Amino acid sequence: MRSPLSRAGTRRVAALLWSAGWAAAGWADSPTVTTAANIGNASGAEIYGHICQGCHMGQAQGAVGAGHYPKLAGDPALVSWQYVALTVLNGKNGMPGFGVPPQQYEFIFGAVCLSDAQVAEVVNYVRSHFGNKWKSNVSANEVAALPHPK
Amino acid sequence: MENNSTVSSPSRRDLLRMIGVAAGSAAMYQAMTSLGFAANSPYRGPVDLQGAPLGASVLILGAGLAGMSAAYELRNAGYQVQVLEYNGRPGGRNWSLRGGDSYTELGGHTQECRFDKDLYINPGPWRIPYHHRGMLSYCKKLGVALEPFVQVNYNAYLHSSRAFGGKPRRFREIKADYQGHVAELLAKATRQNALDASVSKEDQEKLLESLREWGALDKNHAYVASDKSSERRGYEKDPGGGLTARPIPSEPIGLSDILDSNLWQQIPGGDRFDMQTALFQPAGGMGRIGEAFGRELGPLIRYNAKVIDIRQDDRGVTATYEDTRTPGIGLTARADWCLCTIPLPILAQIPMNVGPTLAGAIAAVPYASAVKVGLQFKRRFWEEDEHIYGGITYTDLPIANISYPNTGFHSAGKGVLLGGYLFGANAMEFTAMTPEERVRKAVEYGSQIHPQYPQEFDNGVAVAWHRSPFTMGCFGMWTVDTRAKHYDDLCAIDGRIALAGEHASYIGGWQEGAVTSALDAIGRLHQRAVAAGTPAAGAMV
Repeated sequence: MRSPLSRAGTRRVAALLWSAGWAAAGWADSPTVTTAANIGNASGAEIYGHICQGCHMGQAQGAVGAGHYPKLAGDPALVSWQYVALTVLNGKNGMPGFGVPPQQYEFIFGAVCLSDAQVAEVVNYVRSHFGNKWKSNVSANEVAALPHPK
Repeated sequence: MENNSTVSSPSRRDLLRMIGVAAGSAAMYQAMTSLGFAANSPYRGPVDLQGAPLGASVLILGAGLAGMSAAYELRNAGYQVQVLEYNGRPGGRNWSLRGGDSYTELGGHTQECRFDKDLYINPGPWRIPYHHRGMLSYCKKLGVALEPFVQVNYNAYLHSSRAFGGKPRRFREIKADYQGHVAELLAKATRQNALDASVSKEDQEKLLESLREWGALDKNHAYVASDKSSERRGYEKDPGGGLTARPIPSEPIGLSDILDSNLWQQIPGGDRFDMQTALFQPAGGMGRIGEAFGRELGPLIRYNAKVIDIRQDDRGVTATYEDTRTPGIGLTARADWCLCTIPLPILAQIPMNVGPTLAGAIAAVPYASAVKVGLQFKRRFWEEDEHIYGGITYTDLPIANISYPNTGFHSAGKGVLLGGYLFGANAMEFTAMTPEERVRKAVEYGSQIHPQYPQEFDNGVAVAWHRSPFTMGCFGMWTVDTRAKHYDDLCAIDGRIALAGEHASYIGGWQEGAVTSALDAIGRLHQRAVAAGTPAAGAMV
């Protein structure tokens, strides 16, 4: 068998180059599309609004088609911040893991990686909005202590 | 990934290391357009399904290209076939949006496409390489007319918002100048004996001659403004006829400016095996293929069928489904065997009694985010003003692509562009917008390349694949690790159920992956069916 691994490896390199030269620049100067410089400082609300909302929807109400996106508003599972953080980091079913290093993917453009601080921010946000009333002060260090995808 | 790194951006250190490894490998466009990596299709002609047991039946879930190519072959081989499809149309991601079409995405936004007659966009796949022989053979069998897909257009633009003052450059300028400067440098190194250790004296002469040809160098092996270089990059004033005919050569862009612009990353895109000329598109839109399959299979497809449970026993497989127009009533379909092409994010949520290895594989593949935006303009200004006939402009803006129609050149009236084809973080952000906002942003960004946009814009549609009710994502994203751990399990037959689709292929994101995975899966199901012999009567309900 010809090595798919080496082919994938080559492509990962190529994809990284694209990210360097192009994707980063693409974030510039738009109020709607986040800049590479400021996403690192984005609040939980901004991360939710730019990323999570695409599937879980604006009021965290989820959606139903042939399958469904889970409703986060009023979801009792949110009692566990670890559950929420691990889901963000690892993904679930079709949901990408936001802790997976992009270079892991054969097609690197699909991947978005959040820092532990960003994961903490968005976990706190989701657990304390949309009618969810959990006191949530998860820190980057606490997220860092969770097992991360390699 | 460092903790302070940003969304989708690897650290600078990582990048430099990777760039060093790549050493000039052609990058961005390859990666951008590469939805799969094994570009060569394993298609080896029609699948051999001779000897189907009398009365044997197959239930197919999903009327995309995987499901319909399988249904076509199995029916022709004598199997009883029934297909359940969630949408009210055949094709799945093989789909064109045309004037009069309506599309409701998850979240409830409905878009009415207001394109003029014969104008369309392909929200999903849009090109067929010459070596995707499975796809091409079905186009031929089904009578789907093909026309050329222009991948490389020398007169389209390469654009960086951070180079040349944000002004787009023609592809021919960047390619000719990059190649010319590299040829000049290599010629210089050769003549300064820097290559003596690796190239013989005799070959050095030939190398110099070839560099002069390849790079359009002058007799001194220099890349300069000349008729010769202008024949590649274009003239300041084109040659013509009559009194004012004398051409004026153009001035090349300096090597440093080319390198700094990063536009060189785009040059080899069309050299990729899956992007090489010739590529094709069905006349009238990619969706013509799914529509043709749908006509061919006719009543074998049950539309508006939402599968809610899949259960196998030792004699067959039963799918429970609802008609989406009358939900709440459980209907069933049963057959001896099942080919399931339901996209994995959805399948992962459907109760199904398969073993832990297949269940684990189904849950292991996240789906990519992608967005396409179609924009209708009052006139074909890209042809009239800029002489761009088909092909693709590439940009570092979030829209990434502007693709011009490869057909209908010089048509009077309106025209439709692909005004954006986004992946990754930018796609997620566009997904989070309303369709109207996506269109507005695409017009805003595109205006930086085509200043005619604001004046000429008419209307638009935008499809965000994570909002697609029938896929919940664009295509399966494998990692090296998940491939190693789960891919074979995903493709293996579990009892009486086999999976197929682009997700069960090494040509991810390409229709050829769907077709070849389907043919492979039904070939294996057929072997089991033959071994099992004639089924008990009355399997198909």
